[in-house]
Amino acid sequence: MIRHAVAEGLVVLRERAAVSVVLALALGMPIALAGVGLTLHHWLGPMAGLSGEKSSVAVLLRPRLEPSERRRWIADLSTEHPDWDISEVSSRDLAERLQRWFPYLEDLMDSGDAALPPLVEILTDNPDSVAVLEERSEVLAIGPRSSIQQTLGQVARRLALIVGVVSGVLLAGALLLAAVWVHLELYRHADEVIIMRLVGATEATIRGPFLVAVALPGLVAGVLSAVGSVATVAGLSRLTTALGLSAMSIPPTILVAQVATGVLLPVLAAIITLARHAADAIEG
Amino acid sequence: MIRLRSVSKEYERRTILSALDLQIDAGEFVFLTGPSGAGKTTLLRLLYAAERPTEGEVWVAGRRVDEMMGSRLPLLRRKIGVIFQDFKLLRRKTVLENITFVLRIHGVAPREAHRRAMKVLRRLGLQHRQAALPDALSGGEQQRVAIARALAYQPRLILADEPTGNLDADLASELLSLLCDINYQGATVLVATHDQAILESIPARTLVLHQGQVHYDGMWPP
Repeated sequence: MIRHAVAEGLVVLRERAAVSVVLALALGMPIALAGVGLTLHHWLGPMAGLSGEKSSVAVLLRPRLEPSERRRWIADLSTEHPDWDISEVSSRDLAERLQRWFPYLEDLMDSGDAALPPLVEILTDNPDSVAVLEERSEVLAIGPRSSIQQTLGQVARRLALIVGVVSGVLLAGALLLAAVWVHLELYRHADEVIIMRLVGATEATIRGPFLVAVALPGLVAGVLSAVGSVATVAGLSRLTTALGLSAMSIPPTILVAQVATGVLLPVLAAIITLARHAADAIEG
Repeated sequence: MIRLRSVSKEYERRTILSALDLQIDAGEFVFLTGPSGAGKTTLLRLLYAAERPTEGEVWVAGRRVDEMMGSRLPLLRRKIGVIFQDFKLLRRKTVLENITFVLRIHGVAPREAHRRAMKVLRRLGLQHRQAALPDALSGGEQQRVAIARALAYQPRLILADEPTGNLDADLASELLSLLCDINYQGATVLVATHDQAILESIPARTLVLHQGQVHYDGMWPP
């Protein structure tokens, strides 16, 4: 009955082409916005300390420090500055963080992971206080710690909140549109639904076309939003590299999540609508 | 095949069927007649579970249908071929698609569904109308499509509600002979009609409904 669901779903889409285009756009915009917002959050997160009101400052240590010495140094520093939240960047994330904090070390990074110096990140509400470490012999360099970082963090946090709320509201509106559309289509096809039930069609056969009718615009919305996000992030990335900041890229998980959200959320809205109203529309 | 025990049906305090007891065995050909409003259509609707009785038990093909859960109704309805008084054809589907659709939901493969649909359309003289939409057909043609759809999957039980209402005498006679053929092949057939000519054309068990009860049960004419 999948073939029947697809064929009938396409008929519904053809009959209501304008609505399906509006639905695809209504779904695609908030999903694209959320994708760009998440990418920005992902990119700014380590720099601007998005987890709270604090900012993160990177401290590059001398490569000759042994792991045990580094751990002792971090422990001593934590005792000395209890208001700092100090963590060592794992070897897995080292290259990416170095590129983000110290883009001028590109040549060093090209030489391979083994040559990369250890890096710690200090989360603090006073980034300038980290400057005292400049005189320590263990420290090679300190990353950006100006108040711009804090401002950037605050802006980024507010931006993330605004993007989240706007995306959520737009997405809720799009899902409401999908639910109302399915509801209206169900009543428009009420006679057919009654006949299908009377000749022995199962609920899956009856409801399948309606689910396909929202899943296909949802798929288009998901793909368009992913493409739109990639293009937007590419544009932003050109801007950030021109400003001497690290490049920005959209994580593949976000792209997959966008397509999945595009398909699954309207289908879920349709399932709920059909469960609530399918029985009302049918006498038999 | 069909058993009703003390079945009553009321609509808004109006009694349609009253403590009705009835048994129809597998392979029988039965006419159901009575004046308008006697409860013929209601009785048929109880059998394919489009209605539930106010009281009593309705058994079809060994299953109690008045207590059947909604999820099991499709399986019951696939055993029954119903010829509806108002045809109930899918308006957006062609004549051929109306029939293949039902066959497909019975699990018949597309090619086989097409073959069987064409066979039954030829039998009813509708092969030349296979691509037409129901609204382009005459009442008689729509009636024959409804019959073709009910017969296509060779059900064990056929319920026909005024199946000759839109047919001329020749076509009505042809339809009855078709139903007799199907009955001869083993299907149980229950035909609701108020057409005296039809009742007299075939010697068969006849149930006369009057004021919600079986007023007469025997061969017709009495």
